[in-house]
Amino acid sequence: MEFTELIYKIFIKDSGWLTILNGLWVTVQISALSLLFGTLLGSLMCFFRMSKFKPLKIFAQIYISIIRGSPVLMLLMLLFYGVFARTGINPLLVAVITFSMHTAAHVAELLRSALMALDKGQLEAARTLGFSEFQAFKLVTLPQLARIAKPVYQSTVVNLIQWTSVVGYVTITDLTRVINNIASRTMQPIITITGGMIIYLALSYFIYGIFHLTDKKIR
Amino acid sequence: MKKIFALLMICSLVLLTGCGGDSDNKKSSNTEELKLGMIRHLNITETLLDNYFEKAASRMKQTADMRAPKHIFFDNMPAMISALQSGQIDKISTYDSVAKYLLAKNAAMEISSDRVPKVSDSFCCGLREDSADLKSELDAAILKLYADGTLANLVKTYITDIKAYEDLPAVDMPNFDGAETIKVAVTGDLPPLDYISADGKPAGFNTAMLAAISQQIGKNFELVDVDSGARAAALTSGQVDVVFWVAVPLNNTLAPPNCDKPDGMILTEAYFSDEITHVEFKE
Repeated sequence: MEFTELIYKIFIKDSGWLTILNGLWVTVQISALSLLFGTLLGSLMCFFRMSKFKPLKIFAQIYISIIRGSPVLMLLMLLFYGVFARTGINPLLVAVITFSMHTAAHVAELLRSALMALDKGQLEAARTLGFSEFQAFKLVTLPQLARIAKPVYQSTVVNLIQWTSVVGYVTITDLTRVINNIASRTMQPIITITGGMIIYLALSYFIYGIFHLTDKKIR
Repeated sequence: MKKIFALLMICSLVLLTGCGGDSDNKKSSNTEELKLGMIRHLNITETLLDNYFEKAASRMKQTADMRAPKHIFFDNMPAMISALQSGQIDKISTYDSVAKYLLAKNAAMEISSDRVPKVSDSFCCGLREDSADLKSELDAAILKLYADGTLANLVKTYITDIKAYEDLPAVDMPNFDGAETIKVAVTGDLPPLDYISADGKPAGFNTAMLAAISQQIGKNFELVDVDSGARAAALTSGQVDVVFWVAVPLNNTLAPPNCDKPDGMILTEAYFSDEITHVEFKE
């Protein structure tokens, strides 16, 4: 069988490409929602972690160390097959909760390290010049924070997309699961997995492209 | 500096080539341990399975010169075939029907004969202990399908007569308004019994049989695509009510019939049986 014919049979025949697109859409949905909620929760955790109120600080420390120290697949299975097992909750929602929690722990730490890298003198100078606390944060801290945190945040986004590839364990048919199903059906795993990798790679470069565009805008 | 770098590169290439050569030698040796890849079971572990085979092989060694293989479990079929391609395992241990499907799809493979004890498994559905009523309904339906010849016809259509590159489309499940819905885990890892069609729908013999059972008992079935490695967790947690293809060894001199049945699980009547075959890449 010719290579092109094989590619056609694996990826295109009988609406195979549509099934791949559906899997990709599920991956994008989980990643985008988890990124949104993970960033919000991560910012809150960072605020708690840097708070002078001890109970909040300790809570954030415990949360971050537990979540960062445990494999995301274990957390996902624990939530889906344990905590939410008898609730009838949609597996997609459980995946979004899991990956949001996981992303939040990473975002909290990357924001904290970015905040620690800031020059405190500038903030004090802004306050001396009469800026309110909010104005000083918005005009002095935030732009610098975004600049410092951006490269690591970009990696976190790409990592998040890759982490979602384990959702097949909780009955979700994402891109990886679709690729595995096709490989099982066609018995051509290497070609199929290579195709899947190219799609993930394209998605990652799309993210890098978006960050690159925002870089240009800032300049 | 450039010369040192070039020298280092040559040394690493020589080392890497050496490592590759060693693994080839290992594979070609007949006296080496036979590494068999297998899809992860529900309960039985690799060590336990190896022990069963060791005992059987030592019993049969004097008469048939049998040897015990080492089993390596995989969570899904693509990982197992990739391992075979890369030489990490010597052969795939799978069912005869799956092996024939594999050969039809991949002409580079062939069925191999080994001096390994022969095993046949029957396939049952697994349910939680608290689903005794459902088990009775499924048992009655399976026995009826046996008796009226439906099961034999399904085996013929979906397993015996299946042709290469002609996957049969997914069967539409009957829908009974207001009837109870039972969630059934499918994995897509055991074609032609259990696979996901190109349009993303669960297909194969198991689903066709399920549609026939649904007609018999008047209940709706929802097929849930789950990874083979997570089947037990899906059942015990209540995320699904039934799992397919729980293997029950028919030759109980090799392994006890309940060796793959986790605690807290009950099994239905067997709906299919098949012999285990080994598949490898042609030389």
